[in-house]
Amino acid sequence: MRRIATDSDFRAGFVDMLPAALALAPFGLVCGVGAEAAGASLAGAIGLSAIVFSGAAQILAVQLLAAGAPLAVIVLTCFVAGLRFVIYSAAMAPYLRPLPARWQKSLAFLLTDQAFAAAVRRFDTGGDSHAAGRHFLGSGFALWAFWQVMNVLGYFAGNLIPAGWSLDFAVPLCFIALVAPHLRTSPTIVAALVAGSGVLALAALPMKLSLIVAGIAGIVAGTIADFAQERWTSR
Amino acid sequence: MDVALKLWLVVAIVGVLNYLSRLSFIAIFARRQVPALLARAFRYVPAAMLTALVLPMVVTASGETPHVSLPRIAASLAAGVVAFFTRSTLGTLATGMAVLWTLQFALSHVR
Repeated sequence: MRRIATDSDFRAGFVDMLPAALALAPFGLVCGVGAEAAGASLAGAIGLSAIVFSGAAQILAVQLLAAGAPLAVIVLTCFVAGLRFVIYSAAMAPYLRPLPARWQKSLAFLLTDQAFAAAVRRFDTGGDSHAAGRHFLGSGFALWAFWQVMNVLGYFAGNLIPAGWSLDFAVPLCFIALVAPHLRTSPTIVAALVAGSGVLALAALPMKLSLIVAGIAGIVAGTIADFAQERWTSR
Repeated sequence: MDVALKLWLVVAIVGVLNYLSRLSFIAIFARRQVPALLARAFRYVPAAMLTALVLPMVVTASGETPHVSLPRIAASLAAGVVAFFTRSTLGTLATGMAVLWTLQFALSHVR
């Protein structure tokens, strides 16, 4: 452990993640506030942030818990919201193939939106994939550690933050930072439009079921648009 | 079911499911070819899921009685433009919050 903590690639990864970790600080606070408001114990709140380690799933889980949703609905919603990790996993797989299985399993645990973006940038610069793996471990660990601190701070001190600051707005902003750069091709824009209009049209559905239905509709629409575009351009 | 038990079940089940999602192609299906249709559908998961996640938070101010919040919509559009061109999380966050605070301040003084 000491050997890895003094490794220059690990440290570079840790430092590279600090701006993104800072940007996620309000999101982490909001997750902690939400856990406390849902009646979670401190251990339960830490369990959620340390093990599930996904802001989207955490926010959805505590909101649905507070609303008294059944366990199956909470689990299904969090799972569907976390489906994007499968995509990240598929994209990371070729980069991680040269690494030992133990490294693959550890790095998979640290695979988040932000760590994924940072890791792709680092692996694409080329060079030794083991060094890039240590960089990934550093950036993933930085985010994980910082996330736990912000969640616990939010749990205890969240109520001290004035409501006028609209800190909760940091949560959609973090997702906008992720989704906006995607919107460069027509099928992706179709997917976003269908999912977005769907989720608003179905807002009346109970227990955020609109998220699952609209999300899947968006994926299907994007895929159909992709096929249509292919047929159009190949003619 | 008591809230504490339900929370721990969520931690355990979602924890395992999320980890399996993250591990899926890195380890579990590492040697398997992704079916073409699935690979194509995969490309649209982030755009669709993240948009479905984010829009309700933007269009309606949080609270029990949802209402359309114009400052939030304007701030999100500004943040989206910054994100599209810079891909910077910190820049997106700073822009969005600055626009929201400015509009909230301006509106509170107009009335």
